[in-house]
Amino acid sequence: MTDISHMPAAADDAVPARAPWALLGRAMLQALLVAIAALVLYPLIWMAMNGFRSNAEIFNSPFALPAHWSFAAYAAAWQNGVSQFVLSSLVVTGVSIVTTVFISAWAAYGLTRTTIPGQPLVVGFILGGMMLSPTVALVPLVRMMQDFGLYNTHWALILLYTAFRVPFTTFLIRAYMLDLPRDLDEAARMDGASEGQIFRKIILPLCRPILVSCVILHVLFAWNEYLFAMIFTNSPETRTLPVGLTSLMSKHGTDFAQVFAAMTISALPIVIVFFLTQRYFIRGLTEGIGK
Amino acid sequence: MAHLTLRDVRKTYGYMEVLHGIDLDIPSGEFVVFVGPSGCGKSTLLRTIAGLEEISSGEFRLDGALMNRVAPAQRGIAMVFQSYALYPHMTVYDNMAFGLKIAGLPRREIRARIERAAESLQLSPYLDRFPKALSGGQRQRVAIGRAIVRNPRVFLFDEPLSNLDAALRVATRIEIARLKQAMPGTTMIYVTHDQTEAMTLADRIVVLRDGRIEQVGSPVELYRRPANLFVARFIGSPAMNVLAAEAQGGTRLRLPDGGLAEAPFEIAPGTALQYGIRPEDLRPAAPGEAAAVTGRISLIEQLGEVQLAYLEAADGAAPLVAKLPGTLPLATGQRIALAPRPEAAHLFGEDGERLRPAARIAA
Repeated sequence: MTDISHMPAAADDAVPARAPWALLGRAMLQALLVAIAALVLYPLIWMAMNGFRSNAEIFNSPFALPAHWSFAAYAAAWQNGVSQFVLSSLVVTGVSIVTTVFISAWAAYGLTRTTIPGQPLVVGFILGGMMLSPTVALVPLVRMMQDFGLYNTHWALILLYTAFRVPFTTFLIRAYMLDLPRDLDEAARMDGASEGQIFRKIILPLCRPILVSCVILHVLFAWNEYLFAMIFTNSPETRTLPVGLTSLMSKHGTDFAQVFAAMTISALPIVIVFFLTQRYFIRGLTEGIGK
Repeated sequence: MAHLTLRDVRKTYGYMEVLHGIDLDIPSGEFVVFVGPSGCGKSTLLRTIAGLEEISSGEFRLDGALMNRVAPAQRGIAMVFQSYALYPHMTVYDNMAFGLKIAGLPRREIRARIERAAESLQLSPYLDRFPKALSGGQRQRVAIGRAIVRNPRVFLFDEPLSNLDAALRVATRIEIARLKQAMPGTTMIYVTHDQTEAMTLADRIVVLRDGRIEQVGSPVELYRRPANLFVARFIGSPAMNVLAAEAQGGTRLRLPDGGLAEAPFEIAPGTALQYGIRPEDLRPAAPGEAAAVTGRISLIEQLGEVQLAYLEAADGAAPLVAKLPGTLPLATGQRIALAPRPEAAHLFGEDGERLRPAARIAA
């Protein structure tokens, strides 16, 4: 019978032990990452949890867990206007995503797949839009929206978000499209596809990673945008979440539970979208930048 | 039926002309191969035929109809790309069906055509796979299948085997030859820089250089009677040996280092010319026989059936190569005298053009 007590020595020889420095370095790195994660996540968790507590509980023991889980603050926030703000944000973000990504993708297709005269100039002109400061353009934009009768409508924000995000989104999609082989377009052309069909059936599906990245970046921008939303909307029906939350805080500033609940409701969609699409987000950006 | 006619076809990019007036007739059902070194314009010529590049001037006609302004898909031409150009987000079936769907064919007809093509190309088990799950050879077959299902009048191949390994290249080359046999009425144009592909597949070869046609002819014609030095050096592997020579009167030629050779016809004494001899047309000189070339072997490449002996060349000239039987005992450093067969010699004038018997009068 084999004496197994003698075997580990040989096994240990076969697998070289890790150097203590490497183990220590790895442990320190992991500790650092955990600390960063805690630093980022704790305020969010704290905010969400305080939405389940009463105002008194928050003041008595700000960092304790809820004694009993109550949705009252969430329900109150929802009824006090957050539902309308969420709806406005959804409409503005959703429509401006479609318009921004569609216009940018078409523009990028034109800039990478056609030989228009003075193309570098056109590229520079479009990308130059990234340099434009929204603050500087505010006054003329207000006049313009008033003249168009779009002031205090969702369309004002949709138009502005689209206009200000098209340059950056075009920049990202163009960089990605430059890498797609031209043979695919030509094969499709030989197959009888029109420019529209090549764009829709060949190029666009292949650009999915960068399109998802652009959608996420646009959601982050449009969902949190404050300046335009504050200037171009002034009624509860048109206000988006950032401005709506400000008005809620000024109205119910002493009801912290309700404010925390409203803020949690506001942040939740972004967190969900990012978690669902982070794979594409990272891939799209790493493949598309630097061309 | 698909008879192609190109008349004075030119292609310019800005001020740079890359095709300088191509005149070519390709009869229906012929397999024509465009060969030439990189940058000679062979792919550009193919792409102008496909319609992917506009013709700057001249005419391209297909069965008499002017094609210059006709869209690629309306020409009845299908193309197999060097990179396969399969749509990576579509299955094999969808790749093959793409053009047919756009053409608006009924679904049943599309399925029937694809199944027929897939069967002939042994692709039936892979119809539901995506291109990334296929090997290089299978992808190439899908690219060919995508072209076949459209029932084109003309097939264009743009270096279709260059991404395959050596063994697969031979196998796919045979498949393409079989495909041609199965579609005798279809005209095929094939671009390659590999002369083995050109020689084995072509009914006729078009040799291009710097946007001009150097010679058009059957593979054997190009091999045996190259029109000029460029074609002589380009067709054949290893390349033809070319030596400066001077006519000595009658058919006698003097080669460098005092070697003697016979010309296939008489040439006026004193005429300077280029003497070309293929490596396979050189043999060891018999005792007492006048040698054309004598030299020291600097390198031997033993290929089994034959061996390539490289002779040291003076003054930095290209080494002379002889293809000799593999069983012949040779060693590096050995001096060897080589004699050519007179009828195998190729003579070119100082301008590089082939000399014909009448040239002796001019000289």
